[in-house]
Amino acid sequence: MPPEPHPCYNALVRVIVARCSVTYEGRLGARLPEATRLLVLKADGSIAIHSDSRAYKPLNWMSPPCVISERDNLLVAENPKGETLRVELLEVFEDHSYDLGDDPGLEKDGDEAELQQLIAARVQTLRDDFTLIRREYPTDIGPVDLLCRDGEGRAVVVEIKRVGEIAGVEQLIRYQERLDLDTRLAPTRGMFVATRIKPQARVFAASRGIDCVEVALDDLRDHDTPHLKLF
Amino acid sequence: MKFRCERDTLAEAIGTAQRAVSARSGALPVLSGIQVTASDDHIELVGCDLDLTIRVQVPAQVDTDGQAVVPAKLFDGLTTRLKAGTVTFEVEGDDARISSGSAKAGVRLLPADEFPRVGEPSGSAVTVDAAPFAEALRQVIPGASRDDARPILTGVLLTATADGVRLVATDSYRLAVRDLAGVGMLSEGQRVLVGARGLNEVQRVFSSGKIDVTFGEREVRFASETRTVTARLIEGEFPNYEQLIPSGYPNRLTVSRATLEEAVRLMQIVGEGREGTPVRLAMSADGLELSANAQERADATEAIDAKFEGTDVTVAFNPQFLLDGLLSVEGDEVVLETLDPLKPATLKGTDHPEFLYLLMPVRIS
Repeated sequence: MPPEPHPCYNALVRVIVARCSVTYEGRLGARLPEATRLLVLKADGSIAIHSDSRAYKPLNWMSPPCVISERDNLLVAENPKGETLRVELLEVFEDHSYDLGDDPGLEKDGDEAELQQLIAARVQTLRDDFTLIRREYPTDIGPVDLLCRDGEGRAVVVEIKRVGEIAGVEQLIRYQERLDLDTRLAPTRGMFVATRIKPQARVFAASRGIDCVEVALDDLRDHDTPHLKLF
Repeated sequence: MKFRCERDTLAEAIGTAQRAVSARSGALPVLSGIQVTASDDHIELVGCDLDLTIRVQVPAQVDTDGQAVVPAKLFDGLTTRLKAGTVTFEVEGDDARISSGSAKAGVRLLPADEFPRVGEPSGSAVTVDAAPFAEALRQVIPGASRDDARPILTGVLLTATADGVRLVATDSYRLAVRDLAGVGMLSEGQRVLVGARGLNEVQRVFSSGKIDVTFGEREVRFASETRTVTARLIEGEFPNYEQLIPSGYPNRLTVSRATLEEAVRLMQIVGEGREGTPVRLAMSADGLELSANAQERADATEAIDAKFEGTDVTVAFNPQFLLDGLLSVEGDEVVLETLDPLKPATLKGTDHPEFLYLLMPVRIS
Protein backbone atom coordinates (compact mmCIF):
# COMPACT_ATOMS: atom_id res chain seq x y z
CA MET A 1 0.00 0.00 0.00
CA PRO A 2 1.54 3.34 -1.03
CA PRO A 3 2.28 5.89 1.70
CA GLU A 4 -0.44 8.51 2.31
CA PRO A 5 0.46 11.92 0.94
CA HIS A 6 0.81 14.75 3.49
CA PRO A 7 -0.79 18.19 3.04
CA CYS A 8 1.46 20.90 1.65
CA TYR A 9 0.63 24.50 2.64
CA ASN A 10 2.33 26.93 0.41
CA ALA A 11 1.76 30.67 0.89
CA LEU A 12 3.77 31.23 -2.27
CA VAL A 13 3.06 30.72 -5.92
CA ARG A 14 4.85 27.56 -7.03
CA VAL A 15 5.83 27.01 -10.64
CA ILE A 16 6.87 23.55 -11.74
CA VAL A 17 7.99 22.37 -15.16
CA ALA A 18 7.98 18.60 -15.18
CA ARG A 19 7.38 15.49 -17.18
CA CYS A 20 4.22 14.22 -15.59
CA SER A 21 1.00 12.31 -15.97
CA VAL A 22 -2.32 13.47 -14.54
CA THR A 23 -5.42 11.61 -13.45
CA TYR A 24 -8.75 13.26 -12.64
CA GLU A 25 -11.52 11.46 -10.81
CA GLY A 26 -14.87 13.11 -10.16
CA ARG A 27 -17.85 13.78 -12.38
CA LEU A 28 -15.99 11.78 -14.99
CA GLY A 29 -12.64 10.15 -15.35
CA ALA A 30 -9.88 11.82 -17.36
CA ARG A 31 -6.21 11.17 -17.85
CA LEU A 32 -3.35 13.19 -19.27
CA PRO A 33 -0.65 10.85 -20.46
CA GLU A 34 3.00 11.40 -19.72
CA ALA A 35 4.36 14.65 -21.21
CA THR A 36 6.28 17.79 -20.23
CA ARG A 37 3.93 20.36 -18.73
CA LEU A 38 3.78 23.55 -16.70
CA LEU A 39 2.16 23.28 -13.27
CA VAL A 40 1.04 26.37 -11.40
CA LEU A 41 0.14 26.02 -7.74
CA LYS A 42 -1.17 29.36 -6.55
CA ALA A 43 -1.21 30.58 -2.99
CA ASP A 44 -5.01 30.75 -3.25
CA GLY A 45 -5.03 26.95 -3.20
CA SER A 46 -5.61 26.30 -6.88
CA ILE A 47 -3.67 24.08 -9.23
CA ALA A 48 -3.52 24.31 -13.02
CA ILE A 49 -1.75 22.08 -15.52
CA HIS A 50 -0.74 23.77 -18.77
CA SER A 51 0.70 22.53 -22.04
CA ASP A 52 2.36 24.75 -24.63
CA SER A 53 -0.98 25.60 -26.26
CA ARG A 54 -4.46 26.96 -25.47
CA ALA A 55 -3.10 30.33 -24.28
CA TYR A 56 -4.39 30.91 -20.74
CA LYS A 57 -6.52 27.75 -20.64
CA PRO A 58 -5.13 24.84 -18.61
CA LEU A 59 -5.48 21.20 -19.69
CA ASN A 60 -6.78 20.43 -16.28
CA TRP A 61 -7.21 22.34 -13.08
CA MET A 62 -8.84 22.48 -9.68
CA SER A 63 -10.20 25.72 -8.29
CA PRO A 64 -10.12 26.68 -4.60
CA PRO A 65 -11.20 25.63 -2.12
CA CYS A 66 -9.13 22.47 -2.45
CA VAL A 67 -6.45 20.77 -0.45
CA ILE A 68 -3.18 20.04 -2.18
CA SER A 69 -0.88 17.49 -0.64
CA GLU A 70 2.48 16.19 -1.76
CA ARG A 71 4.34 13.00 -1.16
CA ASP A 72 7.50 12.03 -2.97
CA ASN A 73 6.63 12.34 -6.65
CA LEU A 74 2.88 12.69 -6.22
CA LEU A 75 0.77 15.87 -5.97
CA VAL A 76 -2.85 15.32 -4.96
CA ALA A 77 -5.52 18.02 -5.04
CA GLU A 78 -8.93 17.32 -3.50
CA ASN A 79 -11.97 19.52 -3.25
CA PRO A 80 -15.03 19.29 -0.94
CA LYS A 81 -17.04 17.63 -3.71
CA GLY A 82 -14.71 14.66 -3.52
CA GLU A 83 -13.07 15.34 -6.87
CA THR A 84 -9.39 14.40 -7.04
CA LEU A 85 -6.57 15.48 -9.28
CA ARG A 86 -3.42 13.38 -9.08
CA VAL A 87 -0.21 14.55 -10.70
CA GLU A 88 2.62 12.08 -10.88
CA LEU A 89 5.92 13.90 -11.29
CA LEU A 90 8.23 11.70 -13.32
CA GLU A 91 11.04 14.19 -13.92
CA VAL A 92 11.16 17.73 -12.49
CA PHE A 93 13.03 20.33 -14.59
CA GLU A 94 12.12 23.49 -12.66
CA ASP A 95 10.51 23.95 -9.28
CA HIS A 96 10.43 27.49 -7.88
CA SER A 97 8.26 29.34 -5.40
CA TYR A 98 7.63 33.08 -5.41
CA ASP A 99 5.83 35.56 -3.22
CA LEU A 100 4.00 37.80 -5.70
CA GLY A 101 2.74 40.13 -2.95
CA ASP A 102 -0.46 42.14 -3.18
CA ASP A 103 -1.75 42.66 -6.68
CA PRO A 104 -2.82 46.22 -7.49
CA GLY A 105 -5.59 44.96 -9.73
CA LEU A 106 -6.34 45.49 -13.38
CA GLU A 107 -6.40 49.09 -14.52
CA LYS A 108 -8.61 49.43 -17.52
CA ASP A 109 -7.35 51.82 -20.12
CA GLY A 110 -9.71 54.40 -21.53
CA ASP A 111 -12.91 53.75 -19.66
CA GLU A 112 -16.01 55.80 -20.41
CA ALA A 113 -15.36 58.28 -17.61
CA GLU A 114 -11.93 59.08 -19.01
CA LEU A 115 -13.29 59.32 -22.54
CA GLN A 116 -15.99 61.68 -21.36
CA GLN A 117 -13.47 63.84 -19.53
CA LEU A 118 -11.09 63.99 -22.49
CA ILE A 119 -13.83 64.79 -25.00
CA ALA A 120 -15.43 67.39 -22.72
CA ALA A 121 -12.10 69.21 -22.58
CA ARG A 122 -12.05 69.40 -26.39
CA VAL A 123 -15.52 69.12 -27.82
CA GLN A 124 -14.20 70.60 -31.05
CA THR A 125 -12.72 67.16 -31.62
CA LEU A 126 -16.27 66.05 -32.41
CA ARG A 127 -17.14 69.03 -34.58
CA ASP A 128 -15.37 72.33 -35.08
CA ASP A 129 -18.42 74.42 -34.19
CA PHE A 130 -19.24 72.65 -30.92
CA THR A 131 -19.19 74.35 -27.55
CA LEU A 132 -19.85 72.52 -24.33
CA ILE A 133 -22.98 73.42 -22.38
CA ARG A 134 -22.40 70.91 -19.60
CA ARG A 135 -21.00 67.51 -18.72
CA GLU A 136 -23.39 65.10 -17.01
CA TYR A 137 -26.41 67.22 -17.95
CA PRO A 138 -29.22 66.04 -15.66
CA THR A 139 -32.47 64.56 -16.92
CA ASP A 140 -35.11 62.67 -14.97
CA ILE A 141 -33.89 59.37 -16.46
CA GLY A 142 -30.23 59.98 -15.69
CA PRO A 143 -27.48 62.36 -16.74
CA VAL A 144 -26.55 62.92 -20.37
CA ASP A 145 -22.79 62.49 -20.94
CA LEU A 146 -22.35 65.82 -22.73
CA LEU A 147 -24.73 68.51 -23.82
CA CYS A 148 -23.20 70.73 -26.49
CA ARG A 149 -24.36 73.48 -28.79
CA ASP A 150 -23.47 73.55 -32.46
CA GLY A 151 -22.69 76.55 -34.65
CA GLU A 152 -26.37 76.91 -35.56
CA GLY A 153 -27.34 77.12 -31.90
CA ARG A 154 -28.93 73.66 -31.68
CA ALA A 155 -28.50 71.57 -28.57
CA VAL A 156 -26.60 68.35 -29.26
CA VAL A 157 -26.96 65.36 -26.95
CA VAL A 158 -23.73 63.36 -26.92
CA GLU A 159 -23.62 59.80 -25.64
CA ILE A 160 -20.15 58.35 -25.12
CA LYS A 161 -19.32 54.66 -25.02
CA ARG A 162 -16.10 52.76 -25.12
CA VAL A 163 -17.61 50.34 -27.62
CA GLY A 164 -20.67 51.61 -29.44
CA GLU A 165 -23.54 49.12 -29.59
CA ILE A 166 -27.25 49.37 -30.36
CA ALA A 167 -28.11 49.66 -26.67
CA GLY A 168 -26.07 52.85 -26.47
CA VAL A 169 -27.95 54.37 -29.41
CA GLU A 170 -31.25 53.48 -27.75
CA GLN A 171 -30.07 55.16 -24.56
CA LEU A 172 -29.23 58.30 -26.53
CA ILE A 173 -32.67 58.32 -28.15
CA ARG A 174 -34.29 58.14 -24.71
CA TYR A 175 -32.25 61.13 -23.54
CA GLN A 176 -33.21 63.10 -26.64
CA GLU A 177 -36.87 62.37 -26.05
CA ARG A 178 -36.62 63.73 -22.52
CA LEU A 179 -34.67 66.83 -23.50
CA ASP A 180 -37.00 67.57 -26.43
CA LEU A 181 -39.67 68.22 -23.80
CA ASP A 182 -37.61 71.27 -22.76
CA THR A 183 -38.57 74.09 -25.14
CA ARG A 184 -35.21 75.82 -24.53
CA LEU A 185 -33.40 72.82 -26.00
CA ALA A 186 -35.81 71.25 -28.48
CA PRO A 187 -35.34 70.04 -31.10
CA THR A 188 -32.09 68.36 -30.09
CA ARG A 189 -29.60 66.59 -32.31
CA GLY A 190 -27.96 63.34 -31.26
CA MET A 191 -24.36 62.26 -31.54
CA PHE A 192 -23.09 58.80 -30.68
CA VAL A 193 -19.40 58.69 -29.82
CA ALA A 194 -17.17 55.67 -29.16
CA THR A 195 -13.67 54.40 -29.79
CA ARG A 196 -15.31 51.72 -31.95
CA ILE A 197 -18.88 51.68 -33.21
CA LYS A 198 -20.36 48.37 -34.30
CA PRO A 199 -21.91 48.34 -37.80
CA GLN A 200 -25.40 47.49 -36.54
CA ALA A 201 -25.28 50.42 -34.12
CA ARG A 202 -24.11 52.71 -36.89
CA VAL A 203 -26.98 51.66 -39.18
CA PHE A 204 -29.52 52.05 -36.39
CA ALA A 205 -28.15 55.49 -35.45
CA ALA A 206 -28.26 56.65 -39.08
CA SER A 207 -31.89 55.52 -39.36
CA ARG A 208 -32.71 57.84 -36.46
CA GLY A 209 -30.70 60.79 -37.78
CA ILE A 210 -27.98 60.39 -35.18
CA ASP A 211 -24.39 61.22 -36.10
CA CYS A 212 -21.72 58.66 -35.25
CA VAL A 213 -18.16 59.67 -34.40
CA GLU A 214 -15.28 57.34 -33.63
CA VAL A 215 -12.50 58.85 -31.53
CA ALA A 216 -8.92 57.69 -30.95
CA LEU A 217 -8.01 57.56 -27.28
CA ASP A 218 -4.32 58.27 -27.85
CA ASP A 219 -5.08 61.33 -29.94
CA LEU A 220 -7.41 62.64 -27.26
CA ARG A 221 -4.74 62.09 -24.64
CA ASP A 222 -2.16 63.91 -26.70
CA HIS A 223 -4.57 66.80 -26.98
CA ASP A 224 -5.20 66.58 -23.28
CA THR A 225 -1.61 67.58 -22.52
CA PRO A 226 -1.25 70.79 -24.46
CA HIS A 227 1.64 72.00 -22.32
CA LEU A 228 4.66 71.81 -24.54
CA LYS A 229 8.09 71.20 -23.06
CA LEU A 230 11.50 72.55 -23.84
CA PHE A 231 13.12 69.14 -23.39
CA MET B 1 20.53 77.66 30.14
CA LYS B 2 18.97 81.04 30.73
CA PHE B 3 18.88 84.18 28.63
CA ARG B 4 16.88 87.32 28.06
CA CYS B 5 16.17 88.82 24.68
CA GLU B 6 13.90 91.45 23.16
CA ARG B 7 10.71 89.81 21.93
CA ASP B 8 10.79 91.35 18.44
CA THR B 9 14.42 90.39 17.95
CA LEU B 10 13.79 86.84 19.13
CA ALA B 11 10.59 86.44 17.10
CA GLU B 12 12.29 87.64 13.92
CA ALA B 13 15.19 85.24 14.47
CA ILE B 14 12.84 82.33 15.11
CA GLY B 15 10.88 83.19 11.96
CA THR B 16 14.06 83.13 9.89
CA ALA B 17 15.50 79.91 11.34
CA GLN B 18 12.12 78.22 11.14
CA ARG B 19 12.14 78.47 7.37
CA ALA B 20 14.68 75.65 7.30
CA VAL B 21 12.82 73.50 9.79
CA SER B 22 11.71 70.26 8.27
CA ALA B 23 8.14 70.26 7.07
CA ARG B 24 8.28 66.50 6.73
CA SER B 25 7.57 64.58 9.87
CA GLY B 26 8.94 61.15 10.50
CA ALA B 27 12.56 60.29 10.03
CA LEU B 28 14.09 62.63 12.60
CA PRO B 29 11.55 64.25 14.93
CA VAL B 30 14.19 66.56 16.39
CA LEU B 31 14.28 68.36 13.01
CA SER B 32 10.89 69.83 13.86
CA GLY B 33 12.70 71.95 16.40
CA ILE B 34 14.99 74.95 16.49
CA GLN B 35 18.33 74.48 18.19
CA VAL B 36 19.04 77.34 20.58
CA THR B 37 22.57 77.90 21.87
CA ALA B 38 23.30 80.60 24.44
CA SER B 39 26.82 81.80 25.11
CA ASP B 40 28.64 85.05 25.86
CA ASP B 41 26.40 87.93 24.80
CA HIS B 42 24.28 86.25 22.17
CA ILE B 43 22.14 83.31 21.23
CA GLU B 44 22.28 81.30 18.03
CA LEU B 45 19.16 79.73 16.53
CA VAL B 46 19.48 76.92 14.00
CA GLY B 47 16.81 75.42 11.78
CA CYS B 48 17.75 72.46 9.64
CA ASP B 49 16.14 69.85 7.41
CA LEU B 50 19.44 68.22 6.33
CA ASP B 51 19.26 69.88 2.89
CA LEU B 52 19.13 73.42 4.19
CA THR B 53 20.46 74.97 7.39
CA ILE B 54 19.78 78.51 8.56
CA ARG B 55 21.70 79.99 11.51
CA VAL B 56 20.74 83.30 13.06
CA GLN B 57 22.70 85.05 15.79
CA VAL B 58 21.06 87.76 17.89
CA PRO B 59 22.21 89.69 20.95
CA ALA B 60 20.94 88.48 24.31
CA GLN B 61 21.75 88.79 27.95
CA VAL B 62 22.99 85.31 28.77
CA ASP B 63 22.84 84.31 32.42
CA THR B 64 23.69 80.64 31.90
CA ASP B 65 25.26 79.10 28.81
CA GLY B 66 23.59 76.07 27.30
CA GLN B 67 21.86 74.42 24.42
CA ALA B 68 18.32 73.18 23.83
CA VAL B 69 16.04 72.20 20.96
CA VAL B 70 12.61 73.83 21.09
CA PRO B 71 9.64 72.70 18.93
CA ALA B 72 9.67 75.35 16.23
CA LYS B 73 5.95 75.97 15.79
CA LEU B 74 5.36 76.35 19.52
CA PHE B 75 8.43 78.52 19.96
CA ASP B 76 7.32 80.79 17.14
CA GLY B 77 3.67 80.92 18.18
CA LEU B 78 4.36 81.63 21.82
CA THR B 79 7.06 84.21 21.22
CA THR B 80 5.08 86.25 18.71
CA ARG B 81 2.09 86.35 21.07
CA LEU B 82 3.98 87.38 24.16
CA LYS B 83 3.82 90.99 25.22
CA ALA B 84 6.41 93.28 23.68
CA GLY B 85 9.49 93.76 25.80
CA THR B 86 12.03 91.41 27.27
CA VAL B 87 11.45 87.67 26.94
CA THR B 88 13.08 85.36 29.47
CA PHE B 89 13.96 81.84 28.34
CA GLU B 90 15.08 79.31 30.91
CA VAL B 91 15.60 75.57 30.71
CA GLU B 92 14.41 73.54 33.69
CA GLY B 93 14.98 69.83 33.24
CA ASP B 94 13.20 68.71 30.06
CA ASP B 95 11.16 71.90 29.81
CA ALA B 96 11.75 75.45 28.68
CA ARG B 97 10.05 78.30 30.53
CA ILE B 98 9.32 81.26 28.30
CA SER B 99 7.95 84.37 29.92
CA SER B 100 7.31 88.03 29.31
CA GLY B 101 5.56 90.32 31.79
CA SER B 102 2.96 88.26 33.60
CA ALA B 103 2.67 85.69 30.77
CA LYS B 104 4.47 82.38 31.23
CA ALA B 105 4.59 79.27 29.11
CA GLY B 106 6.20 75.88 29.47
CA VAL B 107 7.39 73.87 26.48
CA ARG B 108 8.63 70.26 26.40
CA LEU B 109 12.04 70.25 24.78
CA LEU B 110 13.25 67.88 22.09
CA PRO B 111 16.41 65.81 22.79
CA ALA B 112 19.29 68.22 22.10
CA ASP B 113 21.85 65.46 21.55
CA GLU B 114 19.84 64.16 18.57
CA PHE B 115 20.08 67.42 16.63
CA PRO B 116 22.28 66.66 13.60
CA ARG B 117 25.66 68.19 12.97
CA VAL B 118 25.44 69.32 9.38
CA GLY B 119 28.65 69.56 7.38
CA GLU B 120 29.97 73.01 6.59
CA PRO B 121 32.23 73.79 3.62
CA SER B 122 35.79 74.41 4.66
CA GLY B 123 37.19 76.23 1.62
CA SER B 124 38.09 79.89 1.43
CA ALA B 125 35.24 82.39 1.17
CA VAL B 126 34.59 84.90 -1.58
CA THR B 127 32.90 88.15 -0.61
CA VAL B 128 30.17 89.48 -2.92
CA ASP B 129 27.55 92.22 -2.81
CA ALA B 130 24.34 90.72 -1.54
CA ALA B 131 21.83 92.96 -3.32
CA PRO B 132 22.64 92.18 -6.99
CA PHE B 133 23.06 88.49 -6.21
CA ALA B 134 19.72 88.39 -4.39
CA GLU B 135 18.07 90.22 -7.28
CA ALA B 136 19.49 87.75 -9.80
CA LEU B 137 18.24 84.88 -7.67
CA ARG B 138 14.79 86.46 -7.48
CA GLN B 139 14.70 86.50 -11.27
CA VAL B 140 15.71 82.90 -11.94
CA ILE B 141 14.25 80.95 -9.01
CA PRO B 142 10.64 80.94 -10.36
CA GLY B 143 11.96 79.01 -13.35
CA ALA B 144 13.15 76.10 -11.19
CA SER B 145 11.02 73.02 -10.74
CA ARG B 146 9.33 72.19 -7.44
CA ASP B 147 8.91 68.56 -8.41
CA ASP B 148 11.28 66.37 -6.41
CA ALA B 149 10.87 63.61 -9.00
CA ARG B 150 13.58 65.34 -11.04
CA PRO B 151 15.97 66.73 -8.41
CA ILE B 152 18.31 68.31 -10.95
CA LEU B 153 15.57 70.64 -12.12
CA THR B 154 14.92 71.79 -8.54
CA GLY B 155 18.29 73.52 -8.55
CA VAL B 156 19.82 76.69 -9.95
CA LEU B 157 22.93 76.18 -12.03
CA LEU B 158 25.74 78.62 -11.25
CA THR B 159 28.44 78.74 -13.90
CA ALA B 160 31.53 80.88 -14.12
CA THR B 161 31.55 83.35 -17.01
CA ALA B 162 34.31 85.60 -18.31
CA ASP B 163 33.16 88.51 -16.20
CA GLY B 164 31.08 86.98 -13.45
CA VAL B 165 28.57 84.26 -12.94
CA ARG B 166 25.56 82.94 -14.87
CA LEU B 167 22.49 81.65 -13.06
CA VAL B 168 20.19 79.21 -14.85
CA ALA B 169 16.97 77.50 -13.80
CA THR B 170 14.46 75.43 -15.73
CA ASP B 171 11.48 73.22 -15.02
CA SER B 172 11.35 72.01 -18.65
CA TYR B 173 8.46 74.36 -19.46
CA ARG B 174 10.51 77.55 -19.10
CA LEU B 175 14.10 78.55 -18.70
CA ALA B 176 15.47 81.57 -16.85
CA VAL B 177 19.02 82.74 -17.55
CA ARG B 178 20.67 85.65 -15.75
CA ASP B 179 24.21 86.92 -16.29
CA LEU B 180 25.63 88.70 -13.29
CA ALA B 181 28.76 90.64 -14.14
CA GLY B 182 31.43 91.49 -11.59
CA VAL B 183 30.55 88.67 -9.22
CA GLY B 184 33.52 86.32 -9.17
CA MET B 185 32.26 83.71 -6.75
CA LEU B 186 33.31 80.78 -8.94
CA SER B 187 36.68 79.76 -10.26
CA GLU B 188 37.19 79.51 -14.02
CA GLY B 189 35.12 76.71 -15.57
CA GLN B 190 33.37 75.91 -12.30
CA ARG B 191 29.72 74.78 -12.42
CA VAL B 192 27.64 74.03 -9.36
CA LEU B 193 24.00 73.19 -8.90
CA VAL B 194 22.39 74.56 -5.74
CA GLY B 195 18.86 73.78 -4.56
CA ALA B 196 16.46 76.59 -5.47
CA ARG B 197 14.79 76.31 -2.08
CA GLY B 198 18.05 77.12 -0.33
CA LEU B 199 18.81 79.96 -2.70
CA ASN B 200 15.34 81.35 -2.15
CA GLU B 201 16.24 81.68 1.52
CA VAL B 202 19.53 83.31 0.54
CA GLN B 203 17.70 86.01 -1.38
CA ARG B 204 15.30 86.54 1.51
CA VAL B 205 17.91 86.61 4.25
CA PHE B 206 20.61 88.64 2.48
CA SER B 207 19.12 91.59 0.68
CA SER B 208 21.89 94.10 1.35
CA GLY B 209 25.48 94.39 2.53
CA LYS B 210 28.14 91.81 1.82
CA ILE B 211 28.00 88.05 1.99
CA ASP B 212 30.77 85.49 2.17
CA VAL B 213 30.25 82.58 -0.18
CA THR B 214 32.09 79.33 0.46
CA PHE B 215 31.77 76.32 -1.82
CA GLY B 216 32.60 72.90 -0.46
CA GLU B 217 32.37 69.50 -2.06
CA ARG B 218 28.79 68.97 -0.96
CA GLU B 219 27.58 72.26 0.44
CA VAL B 220 27.67 75.95 -0.20
CA ARG B 221 27.52 78.49 2.60
CA PHE B 222 26.34 82.07 2.36
CA ALA B 223 27.20 84.04 5.48
CA SER B 224 27.00 87.52 6.89
CA GLU B 225 28.13 88.51 10.34
CA THR B 226 25.00 87.23 12.04
CA ARG B 227 23.30 84.94 9.55
CA THR B 228 24.32 81.81 7.68
CA VAL B 229 22.49 79.79 5.07
CA THR B 230 24.04 76.45 4.15
CA ALA B 231 22.56 74.50 1.25
CA ARG B 232 23.45 71.09 -0.11
CA LEU B 233 24.73 70.94 -3.66
CA ILE B 234 22.77 68.80 -6.11
CA GLU B 235 24.71 66.16 -7.99
CA GLY B 236 23.96 65.39 -11.60
CA GLU B 237 24.11 66.75 -15.11
CA PHE B 238 22.05 69.88 -15.75
CA PRO B 239 20.28 69.86 -19.15
CA ASN B 240 22.19 71.36 -22.04
CA TYR B 241 20.11 74.52 -21.94
CA GLU B 242 22.11 76.59 -24.44
CA GLN B 243 20.85 74.58 -27.40
CA LEU B 244 17.27 75.40 -26.40
CA ILE B 245 17.66 79.12 -27.00
CA PRO B 246 16.73 80.00 -30.61
CA SER B 247 19.33 82.05 -32.46
CA GLY B 248 16.79 84.48 -33.88
CA TYR B 249 13.11 85.31 -34.06
CA PRO B 250 10.97 86.62 -36.94
CA ASN B 251 8.32 88.14 -34.65
CA ARG B 252 8.98 90.80 -32.06
CA LEU B 253 6.41 92.39 -29.77
CA THR B 254 7.32 95.37 -27.59
CA VAL B 255 4.84 96.19 -24.85
CA SER B 256 4.53 97.88 -21.47
CA ARG B 257 5.38 95.36 -18.79
CA ALA B 258 2.82 96.66 -16.29
CA THR B 259 0.01 96.79 -18.87
CA LEU B 260 0.70 93.27 -20.06
CA GLU B 261 0.95 92.02 -16.47
CA GLU B 262 -2.46 93.48 -15.62
CA ALA B 263 -4.03 91.99 -18.73
CA VAL B 264 -2.56 88.54 -18.05
CA ARG B 265 -3.86 88.68 -14.48
CA LEU B 266 -7.34 89.41 -15.85
CA MET B 267 -7.10 86.42 -18.19
CA GLN B 268 -5.83 84.27 -15.36
CA ILE B 269 -8.99 84.91 -13.35
CA VAL B 270 -11.05 83.45 -16.19
CA GLY B 271 -9.22 80.15 -15.92
CA GLU B 272 -8.73 80.17 -12.16
CA GLY B 273 -9.11 76.72 -10.71
CA ARG B 274 -8.97 75.23 -14.19
CA GLU B 275 -5.49 74.12 -14.79
CA GLY B 276 -4.62 74.33 -18.42
CA THR B 277 -6.70 77.32 -19.45
CA PRO B 278 -4.19 79.26 -21.51
CA VAL B 279 -4.00 82.95 -22.25
CA ARG B 280 -3.90 83.61 -26.00
CA LEU B 281 -1.80 86.44 -27.33
CA ALA B 282 -2.87 87.50 -30.80
CA MET B 283 -0.09 89.71 -32.17
CA SER B 284 -0.49 91.86 -35.25
CA ALA B 285 0.35 95.30 -36.62
CA ASP B 286 -2.74 96.53 -34.75
CA GLY B 287 -1.20 95.59 -31.44
CA LEU B 288 -1.87 92.81 -28.98
CA GLU B 289 -5.13 91.16 -28.06
CA LEU B 290 -5.25 88.81 -25.10
CA SER B 291 -8.04 86.30 -24.64
CA ALA B 292 -8.91 83.39 -22.40
CA ASN B 293 -11.84 81.02 -22.59
CA ALA B 294 -12.69 78.57 -19.85
CA GLN B 295 -15.69 76.79 -21.31
CA GLU B 296 -18.64 76.46 -18.93
CA ARG B 297 -17.14 79.18 -16.73
CA ALA B 298 -16.02 82.47 -18.22
CA ASP B 299 -14.18 84.16 -21.04
CA ALA B 300 -12.40 87.48 -21.49
CA THR B 301 -10.51 89.56 -24.04
CA GLU B 302 -8.47 92.71 -23.80
CA ALA B 303 -6.68 94.69 -26.48
CA ILE B 304 -3.59 96.62 -25.47
CA ASP B 305 -1.22 98.93 -27.29
CA ALA B 306 1.94 97.24 -28.46
CA LYS B 307 4.49 97.52 -31.22
CA PHE B 308 4.69 94.41 -33.37
CA GLU B 309 7.17 93.54 -36.10
CA GLY B 310 6.70 90.31 -38.03
CA THR B 311 3.92 88.07 -39.32
CA ASP B 312 0.57 87.99 -37.50
CA VAL B 313 0.66 85.16 -35.01
CA THR B 314 -1.35 83.86 -32.07
CA VAL B 315 0.54 82.10 -29.31
CA ALA B 316 -0.95 80.72 -26.10
CA PHE B 317 0.83 80.45 -22.77
CA ASN B 318 0.25 79.16 -19.29
CA PRO B 319 -0.76 82.47 -17.66
CA GLN B 320 1.16 81.78 -14.45
CA PHE B 321 4.34 80.97 -16.33
CA LEU B 322 3.95 84.15 -18.37
CA LEU B 323 3.34 86.17 -15.21
CA ASP B 324 6.40 84.67 -13.55
CA GLY B 325 8.43 85.86 -16.51
CA LEU B 326 6.90 89.34 -16.48
CA LEU B 327 7.63 89.68 -12.77
CA SER B 328 11.21 88.52 -13.26
CA VAL B 329 12.06 90.80 -16.16
CA GLU B 330 13.41 94.23 -15.27
CA GLY B 331 12.40 97.52 -16.86
CA ASP B 332 9.17 99.22 -17.89
CA GLU B 333 9.05 97.67 -21.34
CA VAL B 334 9.37 94.05 -22.37
CA VAL B 335 10.06 92.32 -25.65
CA LEU B 336 8.31 89.06 -26.49
CA GLU B 337 9.94 87.27 -29.38
CA THR B 338 8.20 84.35 -31.08
CA LEU B 339 8.85 81.91 -33.90
CA ASP B 340 5.46 80.22 -34.21
CA PRO B 341 2.68 78.94 -31.93
CA LEU B 342 4.57 75.78 -31.00
CA LYS B 343 8.15 76.99 -30.55
CA PRO B 344 9.70 78.55 -27.45
CA ALA B 345 9.24 82.30 -27.04
CA THR B 346 11.63 84.66 -25.30
CA LEU B 347 10.78 87.41 -22.87
CA LYS B 348 13.34 90.13 -22.13
CA GLY B 349 13.49 93.65 -20.80
CA THR B 350 14.18 96.12 -23.61
CA ASP B 351 17.19 97.59 -21.82
CA HIS B 352 18.17 94.52 -19.82
CA PRO B 353 19.85 91.95 -22.01
CA GLU B 354 21.38 90.28 -18.95
CA PHE B 355 18.14 88.36 -18.25
CA LEU B 356 16.32 86.01 -20.59
CA TYR B 357 13.14 84.05 -19.93
CA LEU B 358 12.40 81.30 -22.41
CA LEU B 359 8.86 79.96 -22.33
CA MET B 360 7.15 77.11 -24.16
CA PRO B 361 3.68 77.88 -25.53
CA VAL B 362 0.56 75.86 -24.81
CA ARG B 363 -0.85 74.04 -27.82
CA ILE B 364 -4.27 75.31 -28.84
CA SER B 365 -6.69 73.93 -31.40
